[in-house]
Amino acid sequence: MNTTRRRTRGTMAAVLVAGAALALAACGGSSSSTSPSASSAAGLKILIGSSGDTETTAVKDAVQAWSTTSGVAAQVVVASDLSQELSQGFASGQPADVFYTGADSFAGYAKNGSLLAYGDKLSTKDDFYPSLVEQFSYDGQFYCAPKDFSTLALVINTDDWAAAGLTEADIPTTWDQLAAVAAKLTTDGRTGLVFGGEYARLGAFMAQAGGGLISADGSKATADAAANVTALDYVKTQLTAGSFAYASTVGAGWGGEAFGKNLAAMTIEGNWITGGLSADYPDVKYTVVELPAGPAGKGTLQFTNCWGIAADSAQQDSAISLVEYLTSTDQQLAFSKAFGVMPSVESAAAGYKQQFPALSAFVDSATFAQNVVNVPGASDVISDFNSQLEGLATGDPAAILGSVQTNLKDVIDNQ
Amino acid sequence: MSATSIRTPGVTGAGPARRRPRRIGTIALYVALAALALIYVYPFVVQVATSFKTDADAAADPLSLLANPFTTAAYRRLFLSSDYPLWFANSVVVTLLVTAGRVFVNSLAGYALARIRFRGRGLVFAGVVAVMAVPGVVLLIPKFLVLKELGIYNTYAALVLPLVADAAGVFIMKNYFESIPASVEEAARIDGAGTFRLWWSIVLPMAVPALVTITILAFQGSWNELSHFIVASQDPSLVTLTKGVAQLTSGQLGSGTQYPLKLGAAALMTIPVAVLFFIFQRRIMDTSTGAVKG
Amino acid sequence: MRIAAFGASAGRRRRSVERRPLAGWAFVSPVVVLLGVFLVVPVAMALWVSFSDWNGRGSPLSSGVGFVGWKNYSDLLLGGGLATQNLGTALRNNVYYVMFVVPLQTGLSLFLAVLVNRRILRGRGFFRTAFYFPSVTSSVAITVLWLFLFSASGVVNAVLGWFGVTGPNWFSEPSGLVHLVLGALGVEQAPAVLAGHGLLGISWWQWLSGPSVAMTAFILMAVFTTSGTFMLLFLAALQQISGEIEEAALVDGASSWQRFRLVTVPMLRPTVLTVITLGTIGCWQVFDQIYTGTQGGPAKTTLTPAYLSYESAFGNQQWGRGAATAFLLFAIIVLLAGLQRFVLRERGVPRRRRFVAVGPAATTPRTPEVVPR
Repeated sequence: MNTTRRRTRGTMAAVLVAGAALALAACGGSSSSTSPSASSAAGLKILIGSSGDTETTAVKDAVQAWSTTSGVAAQVVVASDLSQELSQGFASGQPADVFYTGADSFAGYAKNGSLLAYGDKLSTKDDFYPSLVEQFSYDGQFYCAPKDFSTLALVINTDDWAAAGLTEADIPTTWDQLAAVAAKLTTDGRTGLVFGGEYARLGAFMAQAGGGLISADGSKATADAAANVTALDYVKTQLTAGSFAYASTVGAGWGGEAFGKNLAAMTIEGNWITGGLSADYPDVKYTVVELPAGPAGKGTLQFTNCWGIAADSAQQDSAISLVEYLTSTDQQLAFSKAFGVMPSVESAAAGYKQQFPALSAFVDSATFAQNVVNVPGASDVISDFNSQLEGLATGDPAAILGSVQTNLKDVIDNQ
Repeated sequence: MSATSIRTPGVTGAGPARRRPRRIGTIALYVALAALALIYVYPFVVQVATSFKTDADAAADPLSLLANPFTTAAYRRLFLSSDYPLWFANSVVVTLLVTAGRVFVNSLAGYALARIRFRGRGLVFAGVVAVMAVPGVVLLIPKFLVLKELGIYNTYAALVLPLVADAAGVFIMKNYFESIPASVEEAARIDGAGTFRLWWSIVLPMAVPALVTITILAFQGSWNELSHFIVASQDPSLVTLTKGVAQLTSGQLGSGTQYPLKLGAAALMTIPVAVLFFIFQRRIMDTSTGAVKG
Repeated sequence: MRIAAFGASAGRRRRSVERRPLAGWAFVSPVVVLLGVFLVVPVAMALWVSFSDWNGRGSPLSSGVGFVGWKNYSDLLLGGGLATQNLGTALRNNVYYVMFVVPLQTGLSLFLAVLVNRRILRGRGFFRTAFYFPSVTSSVAITVLWLFLFSASGVVNAVLGWFGVTGPNWFSEPSGLVHLVLGALGVEQAPAVLAGHGLLGISWWQWLSGPSVAMTAFILMAVFTTSGTFMLLFLAALQQISGEIEEAALVDGASSWQRFRLVTVPMLRPTVLTVITLGTIGCWQVFDQIYTGTQGGPAKTTLTPAYLSYESAFGNQQWGRGAATAFLLFAIIVLLAGLQRFVLRERGVPRRRRFVAVGPAATTPRTPEVVPR
């Protein structure tokens, strides 16, 4: 009897200890989880994909300033992989309140209901460039405020330029001229023109040839159009000749790094390059000009992000007020000053040009810039296109574009 | 051993003619071993050396073991202007909790499966074996789904508890308990000790070798774990070393290559498992009783 | 006295057969709960997701989520679209990874084991430690190191430079080894018969590319990090059989190579089987190094099914497709492990000579230490 009771007591002790072990672990979780969940309950969480320390600091400062005046606590978090962290956030039901949303992934989030369509609630909504509003509209609704935008332009290292005996008159305005100066600027250890081997750069050539991946109204895939083949053929020829190269080929992470390290005399980038260059390579002297015209005239791509607000956010009103603050004319000009972005509101255009006369090429290019593809599900197709473009030097442009056409058509038809 | 000591003089005594090729063979053996060891060790040495170089020096002279100029910039950046210390602390906390948890629950279950008769024992054991066959990487999406449904996604509990679930350790402990004679605990039971006390004060002390084994496995496994941490949380305050360094490495626009920084981060995170390895080296490498035998 | 004690103990033993269900269940309950909640339930849930159209918002168990039958699986296997192409590419990459890593790691670890198994070897401990050390480091740390060693201006290319070879920019080079060899022989374009037909959305020409240069760097890494672990398995096996070898050698005076080939190798068969099975299982799970290093690039040549599954779900919010990919991978691993057991099963080795590798490695495919990275 006595032993039985003892045994039972021992068993109970085992259960208790086991339970305690679990509770201990769980408790380690709950006590510390108060910090993240408390912060999301008490304040806004802002998730950004930053181009570097300069951008991070600028956004943090701006949010801090808003926090001080509004009295709402807010925390800026830099994502290392924005789309993955957004996905986990949406799926877990605890997304960040406000976050960068790329044009390519925007429609996917809008379609599955993750995004709050707050565009029409903004008091400043008429100030945004119409093409940007169009980029962030889905099913006729304006979802999120464009954060800023940029076009692609040609960035030239002026020292290399002069050293090669080139003058201002040599600045290329056609594809042939571009090929000629690139060849002239190519030396041992330096390539004439280096850019990322992806749609977001080569797409500019496609625009100059009169092409594009989808029709203007977004209803048809046009990837296999002859103009696109012409564009890729041109790039392929120059890659093979060695006067163009991809950033990865020369051992750089992106065009700006190749340019900063002088592995390239020219690159094709957006105006974010200015912030990166002044921070990491302050000694590099450069000038920015419009991209040369192709067979169909001038063309470039424009990129924009918007400030997404989660449909699951508990503090949508505060979030909208923060976005209004961050997209105001003055604040956008402050961001421009800090890391070179171009304001997404027309009222700031004059101020921007005044601030950066040397960068007017980026603003001027806006008149002929193409939006990037934003069909839901297209990001998958684009990443496949990108991986095929990496092999362009040895690949068949028509075959590459043919497969993109098939995939893109699938995505559009399945909407 | 005795076979060798008898045989060796016999062979060498077979005649001077055989001595020369043997010596050449021995030299060749050492040369081969030295070359292989160099290949295995040099990367780690150059890793530490590079972490003290500047970015430019690392790219210009990757083979050199002398940093020129010598700089601790990488480490200063890691400790003063990154979350590295936080990642390190998180890894320590998670690893210790996982290790303690695994040792405790595995030895409990292993003992029960080896020694206690109860209805359903066979079923539990079969379940443990079946679960062991599930490849870990298949569980990425599933684990995230469950953590989310349980409402513990983005907490320490999410980092720790799923890693405590470890069928292999149960298996090791069960095998070990079956290998030690039952007579001692039988005697103790006559004294009327309850099952838990019996397990705690009699059985566990006898199982130290197996406990060491699962401690090593649990520590190394959870310290080096990556995929689980990716799906279990996204809060920056819950980032562990592997996840932090992996994301630092996969990098982002504008951060450049920064090899000294990355290599320094990777070298530091190797230290705890390396220390564990050298402490238990004889036990891990003792192949005569079987590698890390359970 | 001793006999009496034995008798008593035997008697008690019989009595201890009495069932103690409460204690038994109390002892196993933590493990049962943990394994159930974090392994069994998740798999069941993911299985449901793989048959659903859940888009990553809210709970997959909520009423708005629809059952779509085999759609996710058929999109992957039969659709012919991007999903199929990605799966085909990932499978191709992983097949080459397995084909190269498994034989190399098995051969190298056996070679190392034989080298350091000598009784009279100075610095034996040092060499064993040196060869084993890479196995204790994390896959993240080793990938970081590898990215540096194999970078355009890295250590490997510097060494190649001594021999006048200009090394490639390893992790950015998508060309396949077989294609490179064919290119050197003058075959630049795919023969029409190979380019025009294919399997899982990619042409036979692409299937035959061989591992890309980038993947080759990962292959070398896997061999580097796993050979030490498997060396220990072989060492344990060698030590168990060395006594018998000495005997046999003394009797018939065989040369050491003959001894190795005729006596040692056949007796190592079970260990070789273990190493090959563990190696294959590990190689099909390669994820950490892809996540850390290349994210599937360049040109998808380091994309693996494990990473694809993760990327579909967490990157593109195609959770059903991601889960389905994971279960296809599961099926592949189970099939291959079974197939290997069958093909390499023992024939005619006397039972008493069988050496079953001891330790967790022999029994636990998921032991992190053993899973090749």
